[in-house]
Amino acid sequence: MKKKNNNNLHAMYSKTHYEYVRKIKRDKTFILSMQILLFVAFIGLWELLATVNIIDPFFFSSPSRIYTTFVSLISSGSLWTHIGITLFETIIGFLIATALGTLIAILLWWNEKLRRILEPYIIILNSLPKIALGPIIILWVGSGATAIITMCVLICIVITTISMMNAFLSCDKDKVLLMQSMHANKFQIFCKLILPSAIPEFLSVLKINVGMSWVGTIMGEYLSSSAGLGYLIVYGSQVFKIDLVMTSTVLLCLLAGLMYAIICVIEKKFKR
Amino acid sequence: MNTLLKFDNVDFYYQTKTEEIKALSSVNFEVSDQEFCSVVGPSGCGKTTILSLTAGLLKASSGKILLKDKPVEKNDSRIGYMFQRDHLFEWRSIWKNITLGIEIQKPQNKEAKLELAENLLKKYDLYAFKNQRPSQLSGGMRQRVALIRTLVLEPQLLLLDEPFSALDFQTRLKVCDDVYEMIKSEKKTAILVTHDISEAISMSEKIIVLSSRPAAVKSVLKLNLKGKTPLEKREDPTFGELFDKIWKELTNEEKK
Repeated sequence: MKKKNNNNLHAMYSKTHYEYVRKIKRDKTFILSMQILLFVAFIGLWELLATVNIIDPFFFSSPSRIYTTFVSLISSGSLWTHIGITLFETIIGFLIATALGTLIAILLWWNEKLRRILEPYIIILNSLPKIALGPIIILWVGSGATAIITMCVLICIVITTISMMNAFLSCDKDKVLLMQSMHANKFQIFCKLILPSAIPEFLSVLKINVGMSWVGTIMGEYLSSSAGLGYLIVYGSQVFKIDLVMTSTVLLCLLAGLMYAIICVIEKKFKR
Repeated sequence: MNTLLKFDNVDFYYQTKTEEIKALSSVNFEVSDQEFCSVVGPSGCGKTTILSLTAGLLKASSGKILLKDKPVEKNDSRIGYMFQRDHLFEWRSIWKNITLGIEIQKPQNKEAKLELAENLLKKYDLYAFKNQRPSQLSGGMRQRVALIRTLVLEPQLLLLDEPFSALDFQTRLKVCDDVYEMIKSEKKTAILVTHDISEAISMSEKIIVLSSRPAAVKSVLKLNLKGKTPLEKREDPTFGELFDKIWKELTNEEKK
């Protein structure tokens, strides 16, 4: 069947074009194979070094120990609780920060004077390491989920505001003039021109915020939590259960990757 | 023919942090109803400023700008503006781009305007593309769509700010013909700002030559070239002579 398809390709295109398409496919397969090979080699080497005690599994863990910890967490039923809590905090923080950051950006685009007044404060807030606000957050909003979500929002909101505001401001001035020459009011200019033209930037912000919101949540869980993947990492490191730390980290990688993939699907739908 | 637009002793100053720049100095000219008029002048002399003032996007520092004896207002709806680039919105279909002005203005005769939009698309062979995106159209087709977007609002005066400058030479000649035919067929008055003297001569019944900044009207040439289209008018025996005359006026200005 495959041979028949290849013959069809030969019939449809010239030999040079056929070779060109084959080269693209070959390159794609090579890159995917190398990516899988690198992953398998890393896991295999890690396991081997831990088994022959070149690295101490107590400090470095190993893939098999991570797997065992993962299975025991599932069988104890606590894994889903921890994942659920962290996922909930991350998604809520991500949504609040994206919505609120975009709303502030809209206000700053709308009112130039307000933008000029607030600009230095936004720059200072952006350069401030948000972890420094941790103790104050706990004092103000209490410990637990509220503090963690607040930390997550603080980490994402400033970059969302700055990126969206710049996207709104970089809209082609002639297009704005065109809208004005058609009698469009400011609200119409925003809804029909500024907002749609900022969608590519908005999708980039979503991608950045996926990563940032995980950072915010884990940082928040380090500061104050009694459950969640961040809590497992802190707990595991305090009682020297490195397997637990590594398992939680691997789970974080998978969840962040999954959330990023969802954003990529949304992006593809918008680009169609 | 009746006068449609009148510039009466118009001055305009740009304000900058350090100085006040005089862009226009006592500009006087008239454009008649259904006339195709071009404005040429040295680079940076204030040609686009004249269009912005006419459209009401800027306010004259002194003097009067009258459209059918009434002063132009801010964003005057009697005027349609076409920019250097087509500025079609990529996230909208061709139909949605063309009806953008109707969507914004919500006119009482909305149905009639939508019908006009549909008729214009059919008349200018773009109806088959109404559901496509701007990126699927050629440069010339995009300019025709941009002109239809302006025409559906039925402006009394069309302002064309170098609308062909982004096109390659061959497409440019073809689009000039198309746009000229559309404007004449819809019986519209147009002012074209251009750097291209040949384009101005081939399309216009009147050419206003501006001096360097602060721009003043240096001369007004009335043209009556043989030919139905801009391309045919380029064959007129006086074309070269007119070109030389305007060229000399402009180069003398740039030497100043």
